[in-house]
Parts: sequence; C-alpha cells; structure tokens
Amino acid sequence: MIERLLERARRRADGGADALWRQVERTSVAFEWGRLKAAGVAEEAGVNVRVRHRGRVGVAGTTAVAGTAGGATDDVGAQHAAPLLDRALASAALGEELDLAFPAQAPLPAMATFFDRAANASLDDLIGIGRSLLERLEREGCRVNVTIERETAETRVANSAGAAGAYRSTAIGISAELWRIAGDDVLAIGDAVEGADLPGDDAVSALVGSVNARFEHALRVVAPPQGALPVIFTPLGLSALMLPVTQALSGKAVLQGISPLAARIGEQVFDTSFSLTDDALRAGRAASRPVDDECVPSRTTCLVERGVVRRFVYDLETSARARTQSTGHGQRTIFGKPVPGYTNIVIGEGGGGRGDGGDELGGGLLRDVKDGLLVDELIGVGQGNVIGGAFSHPVALAYRVERGAISGRVKDAAVAGNAYHLWKRVGGFGTDARWAGARYTPSVLLDGVSVARR
Amino acid sequence: MIDRLTAALGRSRADYTEIRVERTWSTAVTFRGRRLESATASEDQGGFVRALSAGGGWGVASFTSLDRLEAMVARAVELSRAVRVTPPIRLADVAPHQADAILDLDGDVRGIPIAEKKRLLEAYNGELLAVSDRVVDTVATYRDEVSEYWYVNSDGTALHELRPEVTLSGTAVARRNGTIEKGLESIGLRRGWSSVQDKAAGFRQAAERAVQLLDAPMVTGGAYPVILDPELAGVFIHEAFGHLSEADFVYENPQAREMMTLGRRFGKPALNVGDNGAAPGLRGTLPFDDEGTPTQDTPLIKAGILVGRLHSRETAATMGERATGNARAISFRHPPIVRMTNTYIANGQGSFDDLIRDVKLGVYACGAFGGQTLLENFSFTAAYGRMIRDGHLAELVKDVVLAGNLFQTLDRIDHIAGDFRWNQMGGGCGKGGQAPLPVTEGAPHVRIEEALVGGDVPAGSA
Repeated sequence: MIERLLERARRRADGGADALWRQVERTSVAFEWGRLKAAGVAEEAGVNVRVRHRGRVGVAGTTAVAGTAGGATDDVGAQHAAPLLDRALASAALGEELDLAFPAQAPLPAMATFFDRAANASLDDLIGIGRSLLERLEREGCRVNVTIERETAETRVANSAGAAGAYRSTAIGISAELWRIAGDDVLAIGDAVEGADLPGDDAVSALVGSVNARFEHALRVVAPPQGALPVIFTPLGLSALMLPVTQALSGKAVLQGISPLAARIGEQVFDTSFSLTDDALRAGRAASRPVDDECVPSRTTCLVERGVVRRFVYDLETSARARTQSTGHGQRTIFGKPVPGYTNIVIGEGGGGRGDGGDELGGGLLRDVKDGLLVDELIGVGQGNVIGGAFSHPVALAYRVERGAISGRVKDAAVAGNAYHLWKRVGGFGTDARWAGARYTPSVLLDGVSVARR
Repeated sequence: MIDRLTAALGRSRADYTEIRVERTWSTAVTFRGRRLESATASEDQGGFVRALSAGGGWGVASFTSLDRLEAMVARAVELSRAVRVTPPIRLADVAPHQADAILDLDGDVRGIPIAEKKRLLEAYNGELLAVSDRVVDTVATYRDEVSEYWYVNSDGTALHELRPEVTLSGTAVARRNGTIEKGLESIGLRRGWSSVQDKAAGFRQAAERAVQLLDAPMVTGGAYPVILDPELAGVFIHEAFGHLSEADFVYENPQAREMMTLGRRFGKPALNVGDNGAAPGLRGTLPFDDEGTPTQDTPLIKAGILVGRLHSRETAATMGERATGNARAISFRHPPIVRMTNTYIANGQGSFDDLIRDVKLGVYACGAFGGQTLLENFSFTAAYGRMIRDGHLAELVKDVVLAGNLFQTLDRIDHIAGDFRWNQMGGGCGKGGQAPLPVTEGAPHVRIEEALVGGDVPAGSA
C-alpha cells in the first residue's frame, strides 16, 4: 500500500509527504489504410512521491515497483521505496522553500468512473466497432485509418495528513481518419469519440456523420475570400481561440506574471455569452474523477461567468505560492511534479449548447454569414506567443460560406486575429455543442477575423 | 538479460517475435526566472514484445513489470493470432546482428550529483537574466538520461546498448510595456556531462536577441525571396519533406504512392536531400534501429529527383525495397514506426554572400520557434529575421511566419550555399503519439526564389 511508503516517508521527511500510485491496462486495435493490422495490450504501474523536508519540497517517480497486473498490488516494496525516497529527499534539498500544506481528509463526491461495459468489452467487440466504422467510411479513391483504445486504470492517492482517495476508471477512444489524395491535393478528415463508457451506436453514427459531412463539402475547391470577415469556428476548429484563454486562466501563468487575465478577476473581459467551466464531475467523461492527484476533492469550477473572469485553476503548489486554495486541479504523472491541469472544459452560454445540430456544419450559424469562412482545422496552433492572444495560421481544413451556405473547400488561405479581441463580441453560438478532445463547445461565429489568400 | 530474453523468444509460438527491454535513469532540472522550479531524478523500466503469426497481424504487448515478460510474450502471440490479415504481413530480410554497443557516454551523467547539474543550469540561467533588466522571465531546463537497452528477435539478432542523451534549453522573455519577445537557445546531444560545459555564450545571445526584438518592427507580409539559415532550413526539410518520405504514409495507399513515385522531380538540380542515421556523433544517430536493422545514409532527393524513402522492415517488404534502419520507438511503451534520424539538405556551393548579392528586397529567416506540416501545407515560425535590401543585410524584423505549399516551395529552392552544418538542438519529433524522438537536422543556407511571409497580425491585449 502507498500508506506504507508514506509511513517510511514520514520517518525521513519532517514536513510530510504525499504519493500517487497508478496502474493502467490498455487494449488497442489499429486499422491501417483500411486493413486490420495490429492488436496490443499495455500494462503499466508506477508511483510518484513528494516529500517536504526542512521546508523544501521534492518529488521522485519510478516504474520499478513490485508486482503489477495479475497480482494487483500497489506495494512499492522496501527495496524500491528506499532509493525512491532518497531521490525525493535529494530533490527537496535543492528546492526553494515552500509553505505547502497537505490537505486533511475531506468527503469525496460519489460518482461513476468505472463502466463494466467498457471494461468487459472483448478484443472482438473492439474489432467489430472498427469494422463497422470502416464499412461506413470507405469509398472509392479513399483510405481509412481507425484506432480503438480501451483503458482500465486504478488510482490511489494519499498523504501524511491522513487524506486518501482511490478509484477505478475506464476510458474508450475511437478515432477515424478518411484520406483522399488526388494528384498533389491531400485531404484528411478525422474525428474521434472519447468517453468513460463504451459508446452506443448513436455516438458511432455521429462520428460517421461528422466525417461524411465534412468530406462531401470538401470535394469542391473554391477560391478563398479576403479581408476582415465573419468566420465560424467549429468545435474542432476552435483551438487557436481557446488555447490563449485556457493558458491565461491557469494559476501558474498568473503566478509567473504572463497571464493577460491576472488581476482582472471580476472584470467583464469577454462577451456576455461566453462562459467557461471546468467540470471534473461530468458524467461519462474519462477525465472525470472524485479526487485530484493531490487528495483534493473534485468539483465543478466556473472560471468565466457570462464574460466575467471569476477564478483561476490551482494545484497545491501554485495555490500555496499564490496564498489561495487549490481548486482540485492537481495533475501528476509517474515522473515529475504535479502541475495544474484542466479536466473537462465546458464552453458556451451559461455552460453548454443544445447539442441538436445534427450533421449540419456550423450548427445553424451558416445562415447568418453572407461571405466568410467555416474553419475546422488550422496548422501550427500552439506555436509562438500563444498566451498573448495573437494568432496567424494557414487553414488545414476550411470552407467558404457564401449567402448562408457552404460553397466549397478553400486551400491556400490563412486566418489571423487576436483571441481576446474576438471573444469580446461573439456573433453567435451554434446548436452543435459536442466534445472535441477535452472541450465541450458548440460552433462559434466571430466577426472581423482577418482572412488572407496566398 | 540477453539470455533471459532469448529463452523467452524460444517459447514463442509465433513466426516472428521481438523483445525490447529498457532501463532508463534520468534527471531533469528546471529554472523559471530566478526560482528553481524542480529538480528530479527518475527511474523507468519496462519491456515490449511484438509477434507476428502466419496470416496474423501484429500482436503487441508492453509492460513495466519484468516479472511479466513470459506472460506478455504469450499475450502478444495470442493477439497476433486474433487478428487476421490478408495479404499477410511480410518483413524485408535483414542479416542478423549480435552487438554490444556502448555509445560514448562522454562523462556518465549518472555519476554527477543532481546538485551539480542544478549549479550548471543556474549559471546558464543567470546568463539569460544578466543580459538586461528587460529580461523579465526565463525558462531554463537541463535534462539527461542514460538508457540501457536490450533487443532480441527470432531472426537471431541480439543487441545490448547504453544510449546517453543530454539536452539544455533556455528561453529568455523580454518585455517593455505591452511588448513581449522571446529568445531561445537549445542544445541536444547523444552524449554526456562533458558536452554541456562552456555553453554560456549561446544563452547570452538568446537573451540579447529577445531584447533586440523589442525594438524590431514586424515584417511586412508578402511574397519575398527568402533565405533560410541552416537551422530553419533543417527544420523545413524535416517537416515539409521528411515526413512525406516516411514509407508508412505511402506503402499501402495507392494515391500516396503515386504522389511519391521514385523519379518524380521535386526540385531544381541543386537540391540533394537525405537521412543519415549512422552519421557520427549526432542525436538521431544509433548503430541499429528498433527492429535491429543497421542505420545508414539514405539519399531521398538527388539532383532534384526523388530517389528513396525511409523504411521499416514491413514497409520495405511491401514496396519491394530495402529496409533503411528507420523503424524507431521512443520507448518500450511504443511499437517502432517509420521515423527520421538525422535529416539533411546536402551542401551546395558558394557563400551566404553569393545568396543575397542579387536580392533587391528579401527576408533572411533565422532559427525556429516551431513548425507544423499538414502534408502539402506547412507553417514555420522563425525565431527572428533580417530584411535584405540591395544585396545587403538590413534591419532586424520579428514575427516572421513562413507558410506555403510544400511542392511549390521545394521547387523554388534555387540556390544552396556551401556552408553546411548540423543543428544539435533539443526538443524532438512527434508522430503517432510518440514524442519527443531525438532527431537532428542539417543544412547550409538555402534560398527560396519566392515564399509567402506572414506576420503582421494586429496586436492586442485582453
């Protein structure tokens, strides 16, 4: 038990300790260019320990732990515990002083993180999902890649203040990519379904519908428009607009003095229709959990409420430095120290769209656009000085919108703007809210995005 | 260990089986401003099994507990049999090798106390901060590892290697009022402690650059003759061409094969491109890839014509070509996939001055903050640029973003200088969820007749 490791840690570190033990088993199936090619399993177990000694904090991690799958035990073992603690204490000896307090036990929310249907799905079940996707996506002149992953995990966290949490979890990820190469025109359209439970037929159909809709509109290539134009960003295309905001809402960026949102708590910074919540309790999501990786109970945290900045996300270290409370956003891997991280980001008018947009791209926003773009994927998001808000990216997948309808795919175009300016006036949210990676969002219409031809 | 792995191989019922085991010791130190963010030492270990049965697909198993070795071999075999593949997967022949290759550890990092690593990085971080009081923030990282590596396969290959790696990086953030600029220094080597001493000058220059950029205007967007410095030219050839030459993209996709037909013209006769996993002393260099194939120098473009591609044993067999030693995995957690090693634009002729002499108005784009390619389209952010006016270098400019179509841009490379150099940077390549893979890029100065330079994005604040 990690409690035994913590006991050993307590004897050597005068300011206490905490630890995370995690064991993961993953099954995967890969269809490559239309053919079932590989099936795999992965078993991984490891422990990360943090100590506070003489006011300084250090961490260490290892995958050299005794016994893993088969005999599921989280005992670190004396022969591994001693060198692990040596390394953690050596790490602490170098560190700066930090007034880190390990939280006491608090009630954890009751929630479902483990789904039998996902855990018990056989290899053949997973292969079957892949085959049905292939059959529905394949067409003349195209090739399809599909991967399916199922993960079951067990997580235990505990600290020397007596707090502890343990939960089992499942996760399923299904992704598909449709490729068409015609001469030197390369078109790749992908989408994914992710969740804690095995997706139903409706979710798999939605994936097919999403890929098909974007493919059909992409066959005709048209010239891009030019100028400051209305642009619809689909849930998948919204990254360039969201990344600066989520980076700036991290307590770590605030502490480092690089967040443009620091010191703006309570101010109206965004359009009144823009709200952003991080929801660690969201049902059915793989990132949901009753407790974070530092023994802090999970909760739903509203960060931006109707355009007003409400709070930032913190883990134990950043909250100690900022003299505030952890918001339960501590995330740690086996290696390295915990960092503040998001779980499930929900965007929209007061927390979500209606989600009834069906397969129509833009979720009903097209009709409001005379001449503009619908952006589904950009190239190079995350490069450069992201947190400042300015972005400039060539499009990877975008469509021209003329007189309220999609007229075709545009190539050789780039969009630019400043995320903070653009979020000040939102032209509208679509009715197509969905999960795109860790984000739940509808399409968004933003006006005055700079569109350039090349 | 080799004996234990060979015994486990012997019990496999598959037609082909391979086992990799790795044990990695690493340390990482990070400074943020004047504050030590973290200093940690980690130990990671695990194994990987891949099996292929007649008519079956790949059965793959990875694990962190070595007690599970035999069970995981059986599991991989079972998975291979559960996946039926037609036509069957074939592997190109590679002669079996037995080797005990200890790469030059160059000062074994495992013998250096972490406190000393902290002191080294603190000094380099201090160089960044000391340049100017306009340097308001820094991020400096030191990372090292030594990985002990064992590999056996049922063709008779047995390898044991010690693989060292050390990376240093520093970012200086300079600010004046609302303007924020960055300067970046990055070093990545397949070597040890001795190789990261005396690197202060590069850190100083990075911070000086950040401060100078505060006064630099944004480049005016438009089409220009553009000269890439060797660093950016290397990143360009890796991102914009190298990934297309990875055969797993083309081998089972008829349209992609057609696009990448050997003999197709990709550039002017001056253009020669290759990938050399055997080049001595580079970060992407190893004696063997992760299928036990010896690494080699593979020409990809010769005199502007596509002449080769990068292969695993599977892609080579499918295409009737030879394995090139490019099947690589970042760790035991992953299967080997087709990757680059040390990718280069070969040396041309003449000097940098010869490239700019007849340029009336152009951009000299230097260094790389990042780059991404989505097949035929790419976007690169240069660290900084200089305008070229009437054949001479003129003012410093910032926000130099190059975007374009790969085929058009390669074809517009009209002059390659004779000042080749390898760029031993940190970071690495990402593909198929495996990042960062240690790679190196090399190039001389390269001129593109005309390329689109963007950058004048409206400034703004929250």
